Amino acid sequence: MELVVTIIYYCLVGFVSVLLIYNLIKTTEWQKEVLYIIVLIPFLLRLFMLK
Amino acid sequence: MDMTTYALIVLGVMVLFYAGAKLLKLSTEISMFIAAAAGCVAGGFGFSARHIAEGAMTYLDINLIFITATLFMNILKESGGVAFVVRGMFRRFRRQRAILLVLLTILLLIPGALTGAGSVTVLIAGGMVSTVLLGLGVPKVKTAAIVFIVAGLSAAAPPISLWAMMTAAGVNMPYVGFFWPLMLPCLVAGLLTMFILGWRGAPADLERALEELPVPPAGMNWLKIILPFVVFLGLIVVGRTWPHETVVTGLPLMFLCAALTSYVLSPQKMDLFQISQKTIEQLLPLLGTLTCVGILVQIMTLTGVRGLLAVTTVTLPVALVFATLFIILPVSEAVLMWGAAPVIGVPLILLFNTMGLNPIVALAGMSIIWPLGDALPPTAIIGRLTVDVTGYQGSYGQFLKACLIPAVIMMIIGTLMVVYSKQLGFLTGL
Repeated sequence: MELVVTIIYYCLVGFVSVLLIYNLIKTTEWQKEVLYIIVLIPFLLRLFMLK
Repeated sequence: MDMTTYALIVLGVMVLFYAGAKLLKLSTEISMFIAAAAGCVAGGFGFSARHIAEGAMTYLDINLIFITATLFMNILKESGGVAFVVRGMFRRFRRQRAILLVLLTILLLIPGALTGAGSVTVLIAGGMVSTVLLGLGVPKVKTAAIVFIVAGLSAAAPPISLWAMMTAAGVNMPYVGFFWPLMLPCLVAGLLTMFILGWRGAPADLERALEELPVPPAGMNWLKIILPFVVFLGLIVVGRTWPHETVVTGLPLMFLCAALTSYVLSPQKMDLFQISQKTIEQLLPLLGTLTCVGILVQIMTLTGVRGLLAVTTVTLPVALVFATLFIILPVSEAVLMWGAAPVIGVPLILLFNTMGLNPIVALAGMSIIWPLGDALPPTAIIGRLTVDVTGYQGSYGQFLKACLIPAVIMMIIGTLMVVYSKQLGFLTGL
C-alpha cells in the first residue's frame, strides 16, 4: 500500500512539473520565466529521484 | 577574521544585493535568490549549485500541500460550489445581519485555513463576499479592509499555517498542538473585524446584490459541497484514530482526494488541466517565495548568518522584544514575505523557549501578527490583490487606515499570547 502512495506522489510531482514547464513556455515575462525555473528545480530533483 | 565579522560582512552583502535588486524593481522572490547567491559568493563558496538545490528542496512538501489544497478550492469554485454557498447564505439570512456576518467570516476563513495562503481566500471568496457586504451597505473601503484582514487571519488559521509550520520546522519542533492556539484568536479577531467594520451601514438594494452574485449551475446542492470536505476530514480522522493500521497518506494526497471528489461531483463539465494550470499560475509567487526562502535560509546557515541572527536575538532584552513584536513581525513580512518565519521567527522562538515560555502558543501569537505585513510596501501582495478583487478605487492610504482598528486588535491579541504563552499552554492539549 505504501508503494501505491509513493507512486501517486511521484505522479503528482510529475504532473506539477508538466504544468510548470507548460506555464514556463506560455509566459512572456522574463521574471516569471526565471521564477518558474527556480520553482521547477526541486520538483525535477524529486521526480528523477536525485533528492 | 573572526566568525562574527565574517558573518556580518556576508549579511551586509546579502542586504545590499537584496536592496539593489528591489531598487531595480525585481520581484521579492528573485531579489531573495540574488541575495542568497551573493551571500554564497561573498562567503567564499562561489555559486554553489549543491547548496542552492539543497535549499530549494526545503519546502517541497509544503509547496505540494499548497498546490493540492488550492486545486481543491479552485475546483470547488469552478463547479459553482462557492457561489451556491454565498447565494444560499445571502438569500436565507440577508435580513439577519449578525448571523450573516458570522457566516461570512467563517466562509472567508475556510479557503486560507485549508491552503495556508491569504491570497487564495481573496481569489476564491473575496469577490463574492465583497458583493454581499456592499449589498449590506458596508462602504467599499471597509469591505476591502474586512476581506484583507480576514484573509490574513485565514492564512494563520489551522490546519495549515505557513508561518507556524516554517518556524516550527526551523527549530525542529513538530507541528502539533497548534490547532486551538491558532483557531481561537483567528476566530475572535475575524469576528471582531467583521462586526466592527461591517455592522453599520444601511442595507442597499438587497435584491440587486442577489442578482449580482454569480448563479450556480443547475444540479448543485449542499451534499456535493460537503462530501469533498467529508472525504478530507475522514482521511484525517482515520489516520489519527488508527495510526498503525492505516498507511500514511499525507496532506497533499488528502487534498487531492477531496479535489477529485469535488471534480467528480461537479454538475458542470470542467477542464481539469486548465484549472490545474491556472492554479500553478495563481500560486507562482507563493511557490517562488517558498523555494527562494529555502535557498536563502540554506545559504544563511552555510555562512553562519543565521547563527549570528539567532545569537543576537537570544541576547536581546526581553522587554524590548515584547514591546517591538508588533513592528518587527509585520515589517519582516513586508520585506521577506514568508521568509520572515525562518529568518526572524526561528531565533525569536529559540529566545522564548530559553525563557521558559510555551513555544507553541508564542508561535501561534506571532502567526496572528505576521499577516498584517501583507498590506505593507514593498511587497503588499495581498493588500493590492484585495483592492483589485473588491473593486476599491480610493487611495491605498485610506484602505490601510480602515485596517487600523482590526490590526491593533490583532497586535494586542498576538503580543498577549506571546507574553502569557506559559499560562495559555493548556490550549495546546499536550
